[in-house]
Amino acid sequence: MIFQRNSSKVAPENNEPEVLDESRPDIHDEVETVVGPSVNVEGDFASEGNIVVKGTVSGSVFTSKHLTVEMGAKIIANVRAGSATIAGEVKGNMKIKESLELTSTSKVIGDIDMKDLRIESGATLYGKVTMPGVEAEKPIKTKTFKKSEEAAPLFG
Amino acid sequence: MYVYIYDNFLRQKNFLPIVHSMEVVLTDYGIAGKILRLQNYTDCKTIIEDEIKRGAKTIVIVGNDATFGQILSRSATANCTFGFLPVGPNNTIAEVLGIPVGVEACTVLSRRRKEFLDVGWMNNRYFVSQLKVMPSNLEVVYDERFKVTATDKMEVIVCNLQPFFWKRDKKDKEQHVVHPQDGKLEAFIRPLTKSGWWGYKYEEPSIFPFEEMIITGREPFTVEADGKISKEIKVKIKLAHSKVEMIVGRDRKF
Repeated sequence: MIFQRNSSKVAPENNEPEVLDESRPDIHDEVETVVGPSVNVEGDFASEGNIVVKGTVSGSVFTSKHLTVEMGAKIIANVRAGSATIAGEVKGNMKIKESLELTSTSKVIGDIDMKDLRIESGATLYGKVTMPGVEAEKPIKTKTFKKSEEAAPLFG
Repeated sequence: MYVYIYDNFLRQKNFLPIVHSMEVVLTDYGIAGKILRLQNYTDCKTIIEDEIKRGAKTIVIVGNDATFGQILSRSATANCTFGFLPVGPNNTIAEVLGIPVGVEACTVLSRRRKEFLDVGWMNNRYFVSQLKVMPSNLEVVYDERFKVTATDKMEVIVCNLQPFFWKRDKKDKEQHVVHPQDGKLEAFIRPLTKSGWWGYKYEEPSIFPFEEMIITGREPFTVEADGKISKEIKVKIKLAHSKVEMIVGRDRKF
């Protein structure tokens, strides 16, 4: 018959490709990730390549390479990176493997841990600074003055 | 056995001399074969599957970026080796594959240097060159880990093999390029902000390399993948590793 229906119906395609779980060592993710100025990123932001932040990131940031936070950018997250240059604002703890550079426009609120630190004058930092290899033998005691001591005349 | 699929535009008079000289060179190399011509409503998948059943081992695409996308998006799952002979203008993918435009491409084809290429996958179909989501209110989730949003509309371009050329605005003389890399798809996000009464202005772009991405829109948005336009409300884009076996040149960019 001319208008005979095709009896063998084609099964609906469900050809979703499998995501390979195995890591592919031959591929080097050297691609730079750029977060533009009017873009908000929320969640665990991770990349194997360099990251340039010009917008807002909240959650956590991880890269094994270099992180650049440009002027006007804002990170509200804990940061782990190979090295970093901060010119914007970071609220959160930072753990940097190599060097950290805070430029004059930077504002950091949080503890920082790195090997090498460079701070330009004008940079603001509030938090604990830790470097590997340097550890305080005894916890430094800060003298607390009593009200009566404080009120006593110095030259008496 | 080689099967050559010619694009319809190659019937134009100005392309006839180059096509003839290519056919001569292919005959000299001993790799000439059956020639099929694409029409507007040709289903490439059926044609290629029929030819494979008849014993074809290599399918050669003859044309430009559009031809390459049209054929491979439908037949990426075909069990054969693909070749590419770029002819005429609009051939940016050929450069990425290291294949020269014109008669010299026949030499690359005859050398049969094969590589497995990664292909993009989008809502049950493949794309090889580029995917573009027209500006709309979107939310993009990358690798189920982080979410990207913008204050207003944004445009998303995903590059697989075709590089993306862009300018900051109409006055910008410098042309910027996003070079695709194998092993990852690259998403290029450009938010738009209102400028004046009706106009929109493109903001500085963001670039994210990724393997899986879900784009969700508040309203249906237009998606163009390999020249095919559709309306979607949710798009899942993935990278299918080593899906297409392709004959490439020595100067390939991956």
